[in-house]
Amino acid sequence: MIGVVLACAVLIAGAILALALPRNGLRAAAAISSQALACLLTISPLVGVLRSGTAMEGSWAWSYPVEIVALRVDALSAFFLVWSLPMTLLGTVYAVGYLKPYFTAGRNGGPQFALLNMTSLAFLMVYSVQNALVFLLGWEIAAVAAWLMVIWDYRNQKVRFAGFNYLVSTHLGLFVLVAAFMLLYAESGSMDFRSFGVVLAKPGRLRSAAFLLLGVSFALKSAFFPFHAWLPRAHSAAPAHVSALMSGVIHKAGLFAFLRFMLLLGKPDEWMGWAVLVFGASSAFFGVLYTSAQRDLKRLLGYSSTENVGIAAMGFGLGLLGMAWGSPGLVAAGFGGGLLHLFNHALFKCLLFYAAGAVYRATHTVDLERLGGLLRRLPRAGWLFLLGAAAISALPPLNGFVSELIIYSGLLSGAAPSAPANAALVTSSALLAFVGAVSALSMVRAFGVAFLGRPRDASVHVSAPTPPWMTAPMYLHAAGIVLVGLYPGAGLVVTRAATSLFTIAGVPAADTSFAALLGPVQTGVRVLVAVTLIASVVGLYLGRRARRHVTWGCGYTATNSRMQYTASSFSAQFTGLFEAFLPQLRREHVSREIFPAEPGHIGTHHVDAVERRMFEVLGQGEEIITNASNRIPEQPRFAFAAGLLALVIAVGLLIGAAR
Amino acid sequence: MSALAAACQLAALFVMPTIVVFAINRTKAIWSGRRGQPLMQFAYDVIRLLRKVPVYSDVTTMVFRLAPYVVVATAVVSGLLVPVLGLSSPFGFPFDFVAFAYVWGLGRMALMLGALDTGSSFEGMGASREATFSALLEPAFILVTGAACLLTGQRSFASVLALRPTDGVLAVVWLASLVALFVVVQVESARMPVDDPTTHLELTMVHEVMILDHSGADLAALHVGSAVKLTVGLSLIAALLNPFVGGASAVVVGAANLGLTILLGVAIGTVESLIARLKLRAVPQYIVVALVAAGVALLATTFRTGGAG
Repeated sequence: MIGVVLACAVLIAGAILALALPRNGLRAAAAISSQALACLLTISPLVGVLRSGTAMEGSWAWSYPVEIVALRVDALSAFFLVWSLPMTLLGTVYAVGYLKPYFTAGRNGGPQFALLNMTSLAFLMVYSVQNALVFLLGWEIAAVAAWLMVIWDYRNQKVRFAGFNYLVSTHLGLFVLVAAFMLLYAESGSMDFRSFGVVLAKPGRLRSAAFLLLGVSFALKSAFFPFHAWLPRAHSAAPAHVSALMSGVIHKAGLFAFLRFMLLLGKPDEWMGWAVLVFGASSAFFGVLYTSAQRDLKRLLGYSSTENVGIAAMGFGLGLLGMAWGSPGLVAAGFGGGLLHLFNHALFKCLLFYAAGAVYRATHTVDLERLGGLLRRLPRAGWLFLLGAAAISALPPLNGFVSELIIYSGLLSGAAPSAPANAALVTSSALLAFVGAVSALSMVRAFGVAFLGRPRDASVHVSAPTPPWMTAPMYLHAAGIVLVGLYPGAGLVVTRAATSLFTIAGVPAADTSFAALLGPVQTGVRVLVAVTLIASVVGLYLGRRARRHVTWGCGYTATNSRMQYTASSFSAQFTGLFEAFLPQLRREHVSREIFPAEPGHIGTHHVDAVERRMFEVLGQGEEIITNASNRIPEQPRFAFAAGLLALVIAVGLLIGAAR
Repeated sequence: MSALAAACQLAALFVMPTIVVFAINRTKAIWSGRRGQPLMQFAYDVIRLLRKVPVYSDVTTMVFRLAPYVVVATAVVSGLLVPVLGLSSPFGFPFDFVAFAYVWGLGRMALMLGALDTGSSFEGMGASREATFSALLEPAFILVTGAACLLTGQRSFASVLALRPTDGVLAVVWLASLVALFVVVQVESARMPVDDPTTHLELTMVHEVMILDHSGADLAALHVGSAVKLTVGLSLIAALLNPFVGGASAVVVGAANLGLTILLGVAIGTVESLIARLKLRAVPQYIVVALVAAGVALLATTFRTGGAG
């Protein structure tokens, strides 16, 4: 425990140094060295917790109103900390390379580095304290630090707007969280999580209300659909390392807090499991639909984190159902797969954002329609992006496949007690397959349009190759992806102890190493890699004397690079199928004459349905009732009003009957 | 025994693609009143292509050169998982059908990226279509195999072997699974009525347009990949149809399965000779047939297992 407290002190000292030191190089050195020291201080106790499964406890006296801060690092906290801290360190290393042009222009990087340190500090606090007030303090540090990091480029009005949007959303979540804590405090009379646990373990209406409030708050933090509207804006406005850390690491705090309270809750009700499963599934579905329509590479990646937390939540929902049904196999598959997916997502999402950042650094744009042929100019970032893209599409032999396969194994196990429940689980596995395939579509589209083919816009200049400060963190993330893909056991080492926390009283826990499932997969994956390598070597040998020529234009010889398939055209057919969920704005100025004299233009843009609807409602104010009633045709309006009245009475009767 | 089965499966994967392609082409030739190709034509074509020197576009990168070999490798590896001989695959494992779907997904991704690498708008068009159709196909495949798992209690492709139409409800599940898998294989292997493997009208193609720029050994690899994929898909349907599964000796089951695979090739050729290609806009609706059939299979499964338990 002393290591964790010392690490907090080191991080604060590093932050102060980063603000105080005179040169950006020294400031970066202060942040990196203090974070590295914090990692070193915490790594061996955390590994100890993960290996033994026993929690570290400690307490620390503080003045009124907190009085005693109980610290507890159990396997769940250790699981989150063991990768959050090193990944934040890698993000800081990346920032040194990414922010270089700002530094040469004379910008002070001190605050940014100090905030990165504060983010690490917030992780240590949120993941270890057992007191609701101190927890909220850490929660706020993370939120405000993230906001200040997002508005690094604050001179741009769009960036400020995205920042405020994030700040407001995250505080809406905070209000809900405070409400939940007040509810629990009113019942328990203490701010300690253990006393909250006593309240939460009692079945009843209070527990359900607290579950819903906590769920909404943590869903806002982790950007679940429909609470995601702030996310794509913030991710496209922030510097690449901040987007990466927010998406891959910081927002995982929402899911951590959810799991923490699920552990306190004890045996959940069945509806809670279904609620989480459906919520996660809808988040995965809508998140992935939106990835298929984005023009902005970083927005696309932002929506993809809504998708991936949804996939993890599907696993958690399955695990909760398993706890409610008393089925240890489902508990292990659900929580094991979900936790591993969180870890995997942190690995590949950071890599993808870093690669997108490399694109931005080199070209000053992340608009897919203006890019093209970057693989030749930025080979390192390109190949690493491809690796991350394949991993996020859950393709073997990489890590995303392993975690999704574990979730599939739970969904398809047929272990539910009733036939309709089993059918519902199989249906959600089909939805997971849809999400995987659409994710592959979006990633092929993003990589294919930005990195392959020819440059689309002559005004985009590609500057110097990616500096090593930026490539080194990417290589480390890529190594993690390949390692967990080829040796699934390596990922399970990290998640196993945390998975074992979720048990059912009186039922022996299932095997959390998934030996029966992953043993043959590991062999199969190696066979796949070997066959692919052999085929590729033979193929490259056979093609060694190849001639070069132009791409065949199917008889048309005047092709130019503007005629290539664009990102919009690539997804046009698919988004057309899901038009109901993907509203498209169309601006056009086209003359209808046979021989138009003036040039025209058409612009299409996919907007976020939730955000658009929200602003529409806000903009209309109280007129919304009038507008809504105007939409109802004149004649049956009376019938509609009568129906509404009947509904209100029915709901009232139901509530009355429930009392 | 399992080593022998493994050797037989590998041998079948090596030999069957040529025969299946021959069966399809000969059927189409007979329907159109021609004599048709000799048995070994596919093998001759591959050998001829292997001798040629490929031509690469100036635009392409390593992605384009590697893509065909990823395609062929994924096709072969997927063939190891499926009960090609109507006997549980010696390489099968729990939830191998999920792995199968994602291995095909990897091959598809390689193919699409190879197409986009050429910078040709035609190839981009093909890749876009392939991506759209596959997004609708994958859930159908998982739904139908998942239903079979629930019904039979097996957790791998063995469930397909255990699913037999022995009573009314089982017959519904069996028939719906058959329809769904047939559509999945048709779309995945780019056959009529979804895609025309013989046309050279680029605007209307899916699979063929993505391989326009490949030549020499690369083209050979792509042809082998799609022939293996077709064979694997048809043998899976054959395993569902095979009447000898579970009853007769392994040799009879294996021979029957190979025979059925060839017969299915004849069926594909017949469909291709008699039916015109669908309009591209109608293809997603055609794939929805597979989704609906899979949904029917799942509903009937729920009805049956709910009644029993």
